[in-house]
Amino acid sequence: MLREGALAGLKVLELTDQVSGQVAGSFCARLLGDAGADVVKVESPQGDHYRKSGPYPDGVPDPDCSGMFLYLNSNKRGVVLDIESPGGRAAFQDLVATSDFLVLGQNSSQVERFGLSRERLPESNQGLIVVTITPFGLTGLNSAYLGDDLIAISSGGMAYATPGIPDRVEDPGREPPLRSNTHMAGYLAGVQGAMASVAALLSRSMTGTGCEIDLSMQEAVAAVMPFELAHASYHEAKPRRPEIFGVMPNTYLPCQDGYVVVMAVMDAHWRNLMVIADNPDWAELEVFSSGVERARNWDALEPLLLEWTMAHTGAEIAQLAQERGIPCFPAYTVGQMVDSAHVIERGFMVDMEGPGGQKFKLPGYPARLERTPWKFFRPAPKLGEHTSEVLGEWLGYSDAQLSTVGVEAR
Amino acid sequence: MTTPPLPLEGIRIADFGQIIAVPYTAQMLAWMGAEVILIETEDRLTTRVWPPFAEAEPGVNRSGGFNLVNSSKMSCTLNLRDPEGVALAKQIIAVSDVLVENYSSGTMERMGLGYEAVQAIRPDVVYLSLGAFGRTGPMKDLVGFHSVINLFSGLASVTGHKGSHPRIMGGLFPDAFSGCYCVLALLEALYHRANTGEGQYIEVAMTEVLATILPEAVMEYTLDGTEPERVGNRHQEKAPHNVFRCLGDENWVAISVEDDAQFRALAQVAGIPKLAEDPRFSTTEARLSHQDELEPLIEQWTLGCQVEDVVEKLQAAGVPAGPVLDSAQVLADPHMVQRGYVQSPDHPIVGPRPMGAFSWTVDGGQPAIPRSAPLFGEHNKKVIQELLQVPGEEFERLMQNGVIR
Repeated sequence: MLREGALAGLKVLELTDQVSGQVAGSFCARLLGDAGADVVKVESPQGDHYRKSGPYPDGVPDPDCSGMFLYLNSNKRGVVLDIESPGGRAAFQDLVATSDFLVLGQNSSQVERFGLSRERLPESNQGLIVVTITPFGLTGLNSAYLGDDLIAISSGGMAYATPGIPDRVEDPGREPPLRSNTHMAGYLAGVQGAMASVAALLSRSMTGTGCEIDLSMQEAVAAVMPFELAHASYHEAKPRRPEIFGVMPNTYLPCQDGYVVVMAVMDAHWRNLMVIADNPDWAELEVFSSGVERARNWDALEPLLLEWTMAHTGAEIAQLAQERGIPCFPAYTVGQMVDSAHVIERGFMVDMEGPGGQKFKLPGYPARLERTPWKFFRPAPKLGEHTSEVLGEWLGYSDAQLSTVGVEAR
Repeated sequence: MTTPPLPLEGIRIADFGQIIAVPYTAQMLAWMGAEVILIETEDRLTTRVWPPFAEAEPGVNRSGGFNLVNSSKMSCTLNLRDPEGVALAKQIIAVSDVLVENYSSGTMERMGLGYEAVQAIRPDVVYLSLGAFGRTGPMKDLVGFHSVINLFSGLASVTGHKGSHPRIMGGLFPDAFSGCYCVLALLEALYHRANTGEGQYIEVAMTEVLATILPEAVMEYTLDGTEPERVGNRHQEKAPHNVFRCLGDENWVAISVEDDAQFRALAQVAGIPKLAEDPRFSTTEARLSHQDELEPLIEQWTLGCQVEDVVEKLQAAGVPAGPVLDSAQVLADPHMVQRGYVQSPDHPIVGPRPMGAFSWTVDGGQPAIPRSAPLFGEHNKKVIQELLQVPGEEFERLMQNGVIR
């Protein structure tokens, strides 16, 4: 298949559906496909977990139209193999022998069971780069532990650090650690897996030899919190409440139609903020005379600011503030973000269409590379859509051989 | 097995990064073997003068926020308001393969260091600009820190307890997550350059980085206008799926049950096997509708246990569980320490300090062994005299005139 992109001409084989509910391996392989590599996703005859999880264009389950599946698997082709059967296993090994990358989402016991560690894979393919993404990695005390997004966000330190600063916490002592209602750990691990893959490719250019990458979701979460870890490493306690965080206001407050960021960390910001708040009498009080004083007296200041924000919409406040160089902004819902003129003008969202003509959007790619731009090369494959195409093209399998792979080729 | 060569050996990077996102990007490139020259300007210092400081004592070489996102780099201090300072920066760029920056839109151009100007002196440069909102579009000039990025992207709107305010995810992660996409884009561009000789311009928007983790919400909103609700730690397909208090102060365990077999195992381990027979809890569907009743019953058990005991027993029984670790516990975690994730480069002023390295191993070994962060201006001589071949007398003159400082 003729492709453009920085990784055009490279072959990626993905086998991630043996562990349910993990986006990391799928997202990693998709990112390599986004850069132009020829990505083949191998699924069991039952299909990937996310074919069954939605959301669906009509709300009616359809394994070929799950939104999560469409998002995680665009720019890939799809093959169905029963790797538990001898024929399917043999075909899989043949595909591995011709690949540049093998992306796995198994845990350590499954890697062992399927014989997927690099030293047990074809010796003829010295350049193969194997990327395995698991909750806790393949080595170490906890490598056999099961995990998902909640477990990784918790054990990687992020749940404890949420709510972050600035935030509105009535009683931080009683507010439990929190995860976002997303598959965040999976995306974090997926992007880092793609980084590790391309780094290994650059090494391979020098040596001709591939390597085995063992990526832990727990560590992928911890890796995006350098500033948080710095507090522990430097023995300076990290406050969990905004009022003791250096200077205030550096927070967001409810307003007439939602929430608005109220940030005035420098004195010039504060003076300008008071101008747009119509110079209330309390602005001159000694207890609010500096950012540090305002942090110390936040309990007194917050209700005064709240009275002002509640009298305005987020957009009104943001416009007045940004005109004066204060970084205030209304909190958007997902819908407001999608519909914002900025997101529309940048063309970030990708238009999709369901089987019944339903129109919807999915997020696009956040990096714009001038010469090797991201493209939506192809939508996610239907189950087994490219089994005969890929086995013919990559391996030269005949129709007779196709009948041995453990499934009826489409 | 021998360790492969570092992927970016022989690559030099001019780092104009500010605060976290791009400094962190360039740090990862330095770990991969690139020679990174951090170009600092005394009147624009950020993390160097911000807490946390070692033992809470301020100092430009004592900030953890700086030292843990600038390890393995060189520091060169130039006055970029002085044309001679900019001229030196251009000389550094001319011998660099990559330039990275995240000033406000237009700042690099005003200094004469925009992409076109740089391309004129280094035609095959890979030039990366990161912005809160990117470098195009009606909001390109707006200033935004992590809170604005969290809130604009819609991520905060899907984070929070049911019926409560939006919440900001901890750890300034929008910066570091954006850094991951930046590294990926840069590595791809360097691979392309190795194959074709072509450099290129790369632009990344932090708000779009965050939106990449919200596909379900974007799809549902654009189908029929549905906005996602905040659901705390709960999950639409799994129950129980939450954090539970354990013995002691502020100790929590995360438990995620995917199916009925796992729930039976949990009930057994918790010493309340009859729970699995209760019609309110016997199937996933039933548990999803009775979480308010189920969670306190589980917490009754966890409240009397140590976090580690709960995790070990549940994992042994095949139930996904994990500790809720704080930052200090992350750095001390025996599992991650054993894997080599935690590294402690020795800093000449604040001593060895633990930090996280790469989240992966290569052929069983940690691919990055960070060196400590540079002292302020530590490599001025090395960069300006050795690399740029500026004679000693001229170097002294530039120092005296405050061009180098």
